[in-house]
Amino acid sequence: MNGEASNEDEVALAGSFVLGMLGDAESADAEQLLAWDSGFAREVHAWRERLSPLDASAKALPPPAALWQRIEASTATARPQKAREPARRPAMRATGGLGLWQAIEFWRWTAIGGAVATFAMVVLAGTLLLRWPSQPIMVAVLSVDGSGKPGAVVESFADGSVRLIPLQAIDVPEGRALQVWTLRDRQEGPISVGLLDKARTVHLRLGKLPAPRVDQLFEITLEPDTGSPTGRPTGPVLMKGLTANTL
Amino acid sequence: MIGAGTAKARPDRPAGQPPAGDFDHDAALLACGKGDSAAFRALYDREAGKMLGIAMRLLKRQSLAEDAVHDAFVNVWNKAATFDPAQGNARGWMYTILRNRALNMLRTEGRLDHQDAFETLLGAAPDEDPEAIVAGLSEASALRRCLEGLAPNRRSVLVLAYVHGLTHGEIAGRLGVPLGTMKSWVRRSLLALKECMG
Repeated sequence: MNGEASNEDEVALAGSFVLGMLGDAESADAEQLLAWDSGFAREVHAWRERLSPLDASAKALPPPAALWQRIEASTATARPQKAREPARRPAMRATGGLGLWQAIEFWRWTAIGGAVATFAMVVLAGTLLLRWPSQPIMVAVLSVDGSGKPGAVVESFADGSVRLIPLQAIDVPEGRALQVWTLRDRQEGPISVGLLDKARTVHLRLGKLPAPRVDQLFEITLEPDTGSPTGRPTGPVLMKGLTANTL
Repeated sequence: MIGAGTAKARPDRPAGQPPAGDFDHDAALLACGKGDSAAFRALYDREAGKMLGIAMRLLKRQSLAEDAVHDAFVNVWNKAATFDPAQGNARGWMYTILRNRALNMLRTEGRLDHQDAFETLLGAAPDEDPEAIVAGLSEASALRRCLEGLAPNRRSVLVLAYVHGLTHGEIAGRLGVPLGTMKSWVRRSLLALKECMG
């Protein structure tokens, strides 16, 4: 995107993102933009460069010896990812749903066409492996189609975050991916909330979608590795389930 | 330079005290991507102290700051193979991982924990004054020159947000201005800063 220097909204959004001043939803939306919009990514990189002297101004503090020991223990078993993919290929993508454009008032004016908007749904997520100490307020157990065995759990937390935890490995053929969908109401139809190269624990980025409610359907289908070409599930349903409140 | 030589670990030197002279962060991080644990240790020795300092300014508590640095280094190791020097330098890449982690802890975890809030009141490091932080930037720094070109309040907003992780609401409260005013200050200050720095 040739944003030109006059693109003040994009500049301000990228700057606020790097400052850490966006709210959860706006920040998730900005991460989506960062993943798909190279113009926005350039703005973000430029802000990181501009503000980096502030990091350099922090006084170094002597880390206790135990810190390295913890890090060593945490990395002893984990192996670094093989660089089998291009560096910027996101390991997991999720779509932010309808809210993307409504979400950021800065973006209201932007005359971006439908084709670009389609790509806007692609997200870099799971960049941070978060730990959630709190208990989910709602859970959906997704049953494997056919066997009825539990295949994955979707957990929804009070802060609006949603996590998918697979309970069994899923065979994903070459060139295919797992796409996660949610259905809030039939009028609206299923909305994609994630695209995974394999079964793994991920945070689903629901963007501006409301937090899941009782009896909301989550399902996983097998799709082309770039996601369903139609924006609706096209492949076989691998597993599905409805949300229920936790006690 | 990228890929020029292998980074060497120096485990006999105390952690947090960087060696004198040049250190090739990019090469060390690329080596981590190939599983070179000595390069990882060298990066840790070089950067852990500074990263702990950055995390302390955001999180205020030593234990939380150490958690953030721990998580950041685990992430650095796990994602090192995805580092692309063409997209930016290794140090910036590592600091971004740290900032994201620390801000996440600040926003989603810290506030939910009342015990932590209580401890924070008792044992928190005080915020550094934004003016002192700006004054501490290099004289030659374009960032310093351009921040000094902003009105003091506008300058404080950007520094408080970036360095201490304060939200719009927190800064508005601290400076005693309405939230809407704060948001427009942030926007205008950012645009002015970009204009000045190019």
